[in-house]
This record gives sequence, structure tokens and C-alpha cells, in this order.
Amino acid sequence: MSLKPTIGIETHIELNTNTKMFCRCAVVDTDEPNISLCPTCIGLPGALPVPNKKAIEFITLLALSTGCEITSKGMFHRKNYFYPDLPKNYQISQFDLPVGLNGELEIVIGEDRDFIQIERVHMEEDTGKSSHSGSGRIESATSTALDFNRSGVPLVEIVTKPVISSSKQAVAYIEELRQLSIDLNISEGRLEKGNLRFDANISVAPEDSTELGTKVEIKNMNSLRSLERAIDYEIQRQTKALEDGVEIVQETRHWDENKEVTSTMRSKEGSADYRYFSDPDLPNMFLSDEFIKEVETLMPLLPKAQREELMTTGLSLSQSNILSKSDDWIKKLYVEVFDQTKDSIASYNWITGELQGQMRKANIEVLPEWFNDDYLSEIIELIKSNKISFTSAKIILTEILTTETTPSKVAEQKNLFQENDSEKISEMINQIIKENQDIVDRIKSGEDKLVGFLVGQLMKQSNGSVNPGMAKELLLKELEG
Amino acid sequence: MDASNLSIREINSLFTKKELKPSELYSKVFENAANSEAALHAHLTLFEEENIKKAAESDKRFSNGESASLLDGIPIAIKDNINIKNYKTTCSSKMLSNYTSPYDATVIEKLKEQNTLFTGKTNLDEFAMGSSTENSAFGLTKNPWNTDYVPGGSSGGSAASVGARSSIAALGSDTGGSIRQPASFCGLVGFKPTYGTVSRFGLVAFASSLDQIGPITKTVDDSRIIFSSISGEDSRDATSVINNQLNIPSDNTATIGVIKELMEDGISDEAKNEVNKVVEILKSKGYKVKEISIPIIKLSISIYYLIAPAECSANLARFDGVRYGLRVDGNTSYEMMENTRAEGFGAEVKRRILLGTYALSAGYYDEYYGKALQARKEMIDEFAKTFKDVDYLISPTTPTQAFKSGEKTSNPLEMYMSDLCTIPANLAGLPAISIPTGLSKDELPLGVQIMSKPLSDNSLLDFSEIIENEVQFDGQPKGWL
Repeated sequence: MSLKPTIGIETHIELNTNTKMFCRCAVVDTDEPNISLCPTCIGLPGALPVPNKKAIEFITLLALSTGCEITSKGMFHRKNYFYPDLPKNYQISQFDLPVGLNGELEIVIGEDRDFIQIERVHMEEDTGKSSHSGSGRIESATSTALDFNRSGVPLVEIVTKPVISSSKQAVAYIEELRQLSIDLNISEGRLEKGNLRFDANISVAPEDSTELGTKVEIKNMNSLRSLERAIDYEIQRQTKALEDGVEIVQETRHWDENKEVTSTMRSKEGSADYRYFSDPDLPNMFLSDEFIKEVETLMPLLPKAQREELMTTGLSLSQSNILSKSDDWIKKLYVEVFDQTKDSIASYNWITGELQGQMRKANIEVLPEWFNDDYLSEIIELIKSNKISFTSAKIILTEILTTETTPSKVAEQKNLFQENDSEKISEMINQIIKENQDIVDRIKSGEDKLVGFLVGQLMKQSNGSVNPGMAKELLLKELEG
Repeated sequence: MDASNLSIREINSLFTKKELKPSELYSKVFENAANSEAALHAHLTLFEEENIKKAAESDKRFSNGESASLLDGIPIAIKDNINIKNYKTTCSSKMLSNYTSPYDATVIEKLKEQNTLFTGKTNLDEFAMGSSTENSAFGLTKNPWNTDYVPGGSSGGSAASVGARSSIAALGSDTGGSIRQPASFCGLVGFKPTYGTVSRFGLVAFASSLDQIGPITKTVDDSRIIFSSISGEDSRDATSVINNQLNIPSDNTATIGVIKELMEDGISDEAKNEVNKVVEILKSKGYKVKEISIPIIKLSISIYYLIAPAECSANLARFDGVRYGLRVDGNTSYEMMENTRAEGFGAEVKRRILLGTYALSAGYYDEYYGKALQARKEMIDEFAKTFKDVDYLISPTTPTQAFKSGEKTSNPLEMYMSDLCTIPANLAGLPAISIPTGLSKDELPLGVQIMSKPLSDNSLLDFSEIIENEVQFDGQPKGWL
């Protein structure tokens, strides 16, 4: 029996508005607990919610960018459940009238693109944070500390249709969604800070079945790595169960990061009845055509369009994808260097390879202010015209990352301009042969490998300024002669 | 003449003419409290110390001719579900017996700007759920006309206080009649404004889509003065509306409708007689009066007892012992919440939370809550249609005079029926007023209710004042001054 997995993902994105969703408390990024609170976000008696217009603008932007239909007459609902970090013991959320419905998002894996269908995009408020001591879980904790700074921070929930078929697709989807939220400037998109949080619904069914298998929800995946591993584990677990004839139970399972397994959190029987009903404190929200048009004017160039633009410069889909998910300065530098050199591959390789590599090594986070696209373009042009070697180019790059100068000046100062004159190179070769007669003898008696040693000596003595290809060719000729 | 018997305008005129000082009025009002509280228990707390200071400041303003406010130095009683900063807000519940509010309700802010005095906080049915002020965790309130009888509820403390002149006027809240019914039982004017004209920010919510703050006063003019001071759009309440008042005629060009369904079975002859008496007066003055049938009114109690409990089941979920109020320990967080709610809430509150939870539960929503919403919408449409034919609707305020303490406590359904006439205005968001018109054979007050279309509050008050002047009800409970 051949089995196929089906996955749906629910993602929460924390919006980077200045203030909370239903009160004017600042959204703060701090470990100091309970410093940004008011009667509304801690649920004092008599306090009322008032929606944050900016947050509604942000979610509308996200819904439009994923091609959703906008529900102009949206509504806030109360989702009722008791939990100590939920101050009102209901969460203001959306139910049957979410802001966005039926969208899609393009994802890229290698040189292939795919579309993930989105069921809905809706808005809700975040809860506070619980720290359970004595045990990680509320049922067995000896005490629980509560921080309500996060309570009421605006969240967008994006739910896919059950259309994802592998952990790789799931990871590519989250990467795409993360980049989209950064480009839309609605979230910091930092997974380690919980700006994006995701749960996966996974089922496995026979390949030829038209119905989905029993759905299991996986929670507590905190990174892309745990998302990938948890999905792979769960697919394997369910596949084995089906093959062994064991029934799969509809339940919520918890991903254990250390043991790398999922385990039962709660079964369907124990699952909550949220008793959704429209929040009488929040009259119907009407998203007018004017409002939607206004939001549309804020739309940046989306990752998908960025990729298409990049591909017109000659990059592959995967290269364009990597650039589209890079920091803004990298995207910008690529476009500028390409404009000057018209060499997409060299521009791409130098920026995503050597430049970022050297910056990482030297712990440089931001390019020095004097560094601009002219420098990289000049380096690329110098290599192309054989004026410097690749090795020299790396040395030049190191220099201009720390000193305000130009590639040509460095090449001059360090004598890195490449020697392309065969007579001058032959002169140097003769000198090397004289100084290393013993090595020459060994080469002649068959130790071919030592040719490399002589080329090395030549490069060293010339400070790497000799064209290495020419040097090797001339040396071999000399040795044979 | 005893100053505490005067209307606000009369008192203000004496203040301005320096014939009476605010401090003298306050001493008189406080003396009345001292005479009546032991027997009536209208107030839960009295703010004597602060008021002596504030009254002295009022004295100074009037003696310097600096006061510009009609409410300056007027002692007003506040129902104990409206937050006053740094004072307890108990909602007459064990749950909040130790809770002090850190903020002012919008209506309190507005009254503070007018230099109003707050006599203290008045007793109510727990969380405003009840029609007799017998559901208070701190003991019941008695009717100042006859202490064997209830003062009505849930704003029974506010009504008893104005009746016994331990305040000049009072604020109550009205979800299904909680201002109008006690006003009627105590021979006073009770006014529930159009939903949204008075901010609910700082009013502890019972049923958010129905709750409205309003005055209980001796005269229609007093209600007008207080309404104009506390109304207005509030950016902290998303359901508040711009108070753009409609002008409808109040003179004899107006057409009056007598609601047929509220003059049938279940309404006492005494209550009907009061309506007929007013109708005769109006006819004699040349008003056009006709009978109007609004059949859906018969469903009011059924609709109300699905919508109000459903909303209250979520609104009262925040009282869990986690952040404030009563906490009864348990072995886990959930046990603590369960123990707290089991001990903190009284029987009627629990009954309504259970009713509401049930009505919203999966599988029952459509049958109960969903249908109630639908019927409510139909009722709103019916009223809108009716107000095309008539300008004002008249009915009894209550089916009978006040009932005896303990008479209906064991039969919740009978208790619920006492709000039959008042509930429709809450469901449809209409302004509605009860004015006293006469006494029953037991020497207890009776009143009539007048309703008009949304945002015609000022016209409704003008029209009611005409009736008030014609009826000349000058009854006053004896023995408290």
C-alpha cells in the first residue's frame, strides 16, 4: 500500500505595530515583565476594546498580497476558553467573517515553484506569557508566573488548505511567508523571538484515496529545523501505524525538541468548545473600497515579483529565490553591481559568496559607509580583464572592507596587478629554476606533483601578481625544454 | 422647604443666589442617609470625608461666583458597578468584595469635570442581574415607601437612595429595565438613553449589547441635566455613537401609540389604569393616540434570556482569581479558578452563566443564541416600522406595583416576568423613560413608560416633562427626612 501525507499549516504572525490591538499600550520588546499594561489588556472590570486601525491596515495588506478576497464586512468574535494568561478568559478573534479568504502563495524549492493555497487570513489578539515552575506544564506546575506585556499584541493567523505534501514544502512555505511579512513591513519576522509561530495538521492516506486520513495537530515547533523534523517524524509514525493496522486518533501532539518525538497533548474528546459569538463590544468592521485602495498603495514589490525581476538579469530561479530572501542591502547591491557589470553570475557569486563570507568571518554586520557598488563592480571588471587574479581580488576585498580606499589603489599598493607579459614571466621562471635545481631534478625523474610547488614559489615571489595559468604553461614548457 | 427635596435647577439657583451652600446641602443629604441607611441599605459605602472637602470647595466657587456647572456641589449616588478611581467597585459580589478600581469610568470623569459630589456607591443585584436588589452579597435594599417591599432592581440602591433623599439624583445601569423598574417602584423618574449615547467605558459589563448607563431622579428635568452631562461619543468605547439628536415633535402634533401587547394578560389593572389615565390626559390636550400592535414583543423575555446570559457568560469569565478580586486556592491553576468562581458568584449569576454557556455551545448555538439574534433583528425592524406611524410608544413600566421581599426569590421565571415591559427598549436600543404617575391601593408608586426612536432622547424628555406637569405626581416616601 502506497501512502501519501497531507499537511496544512496555521501560522501566527506578530504584527510590528507601535501599540496593541485593542488598547493604546506600547508593544514592547523586553524581558522585564508587566510594564506595558492598562485596564483593557489585563481585563479589568469595565474596560473595553477599541480596534487599532494600523493593525487592520497591516492584515489587509497581507491578505491582498496573498491574493485573498477581502471580506469587507468583517467581524470580531469572542473565542471562549479559560487559561491564566488570557486575561478576559476569551480571546478576541475572527470566526466566519475573516479579513481574507482563498488566497495563494508561491513557494520555491530548488529550481521548482509551487503554489500553496491559503484558506483564510484573520486577525486576533495575543495572550500573555506563562512561566510554569516545578514542571513545564500547567497541570503539574507548583506555581505559574504571568507576564501580560504580550497580552493584546496584534496577531494575524494564516491558515493553508491541506495541500502541503512534504516537510520541505512546509519549510519553503514558512520561509516565503516570513519574507513576505518582512517585505510588507508588518513584522520583524524573527522566528527566535516568536514573531512567527506555526502549528501543522498532518494526516496520511493511501495514494489513490480521495479522502484525507485522520488529522493530527502538532504544536511546539519553534524553528524551521523542528518544523521539518517534526513533520518527518509524524509522517513516519502515522505511516507505520497504518501499515501495522493501528488506528490513528484525532488529537493534538506536542513536539519534544530534545527527544525529537511527538507525544499526545490532548485528544479530540478533551478539545475545547470555544463557543464563538460576535463580540458585542466591537461593532461590525467595514473595510470600505477607499480603505482597501489606500492599503493597496502601500504594497511593495513582493518576493514573487522580485524573483521574476531577478531572473531577467540571468539568474536561475533558486539564485533569485535566495536573493529575494536576503536582507534589503544585499538585494540592492546585487542590482547595482549587475547594472554596472552586466554579469549576473559574477555579481551574485561575489555578493552571496565572498562578500558575505568575509563579513561573517570578520564579524562585520553592516557594510562600511564608503563601500558601494562601484567597488565590487571594479573588482569584477579587474578579474574579467585579467588584471588581477581571483586570489588577489579576495585580498583587495578584505582591504576595502576595513580601509577607505579603492580596489585599484589596493592592487597598486600591494603590487597585485597581474603580470601577463610572457617574457617577464619567463625571466622569473628561470630565476626559480635556478634556485630550486633539486626540485627540478626530481620532477624530471617523475615526481610531477612538484610542478605545483614551483608554481607556488613563483606566485609567492611575485606577490601573487603573476597570471597563474600563463605561469604554469610557461614553466612546463621550460622544464620540457 | 427641605433642600434635599428640590430639583437640581432649584438647588443650583439657591447656590447661585447664595441662599444655600453646597456644604449645607451635603450635611442635609448625609443626615438623611444617617436616618435611612439602617432601614433601607441603599448605599454600600458613603464617601463622607472626601465630600466634606469637595463641598467646601464648591462653597468657595459659588461664593466667588466662579461656578459654571449645574451639577457643581450636587450629591449624586453611583451604582456600585460603575468605577470610581481609588474606590471599591464590588458589583455587590463576593467576587469583588476587595476590588478597588484604578481608573474612572467615562461618566465619572465627566461628572468630576462638573464638580459633582458622589455620595457613595449604591447596592445592586449582583453584577446587575436581578429585579429586586435581593441578589446582593451584602444584604438586600428596602423600598423607602414601605420596607416590606423591594425597591426593584438591579439599580435598587440608587432608586432607594433618591427616594429617601440620601442623594439628589443617582446613576444606574439598565440592561433589561434595571433603571426604569426600580424608578417606577420607588416613585421616581428613570431614564435609559439610546444605546451608545452614554459611554460604557468603566461600567462593569453584564450584557454589553444591552447595558446602558442613565439617571434616576425626582424630575424629568433632573434626568435631562444628567443625561446632557454624561452623554457623548467616547473614543474608549467602540459602541458609543455621536450624539446627533433627532427632533421629533413633543407638542400635540405628535402621535402616541399604546402597545397592545403590553396592555394584556399579565399586566395588572392598576398598571393599565395608569396608562389609560395618561392617555386620557393626552387626548384631552389634542394628541392623537392609537393602539399599536407589535406581536414580537411577546418574545422579549425569551430573546433576552438567551442574549443577556450568553454575553454575561463571556463578560464574567474574567473573574477567575488570577489577577484581582477573590481568590480561593486549589491544587492547580484550574482548581483555583473553579474554587474561586464557585465561592465568588451567587446563585442567580451562576444560573445565568450556565444558561449563556449552554446557549452558545456547539450544537445549540443555532437553535438558541442564533435564533435569539434573528428575533432581535426582527424586533428592531418592527420598532423602526412602528415609529413611521407614531412618535412615542406608551405602556406600563412594570406589570405590577413593587412586590414583597422574598415573594419571588424562589421563582426566577416570575421574577424575570417583571421586566416584560422594559426589555424591548434594550433589545432595540431605544431611549425609554419611566415617569411616576400615581399610587396603588397599597400606597405604592406606579409609573408609565414612554419609548421613542433611537437618538430622539431629548424630544422624549420634553414629551415626558409635559406628562409630568399634567399628572402632578408629588408623592414622596414618608419618614426619612
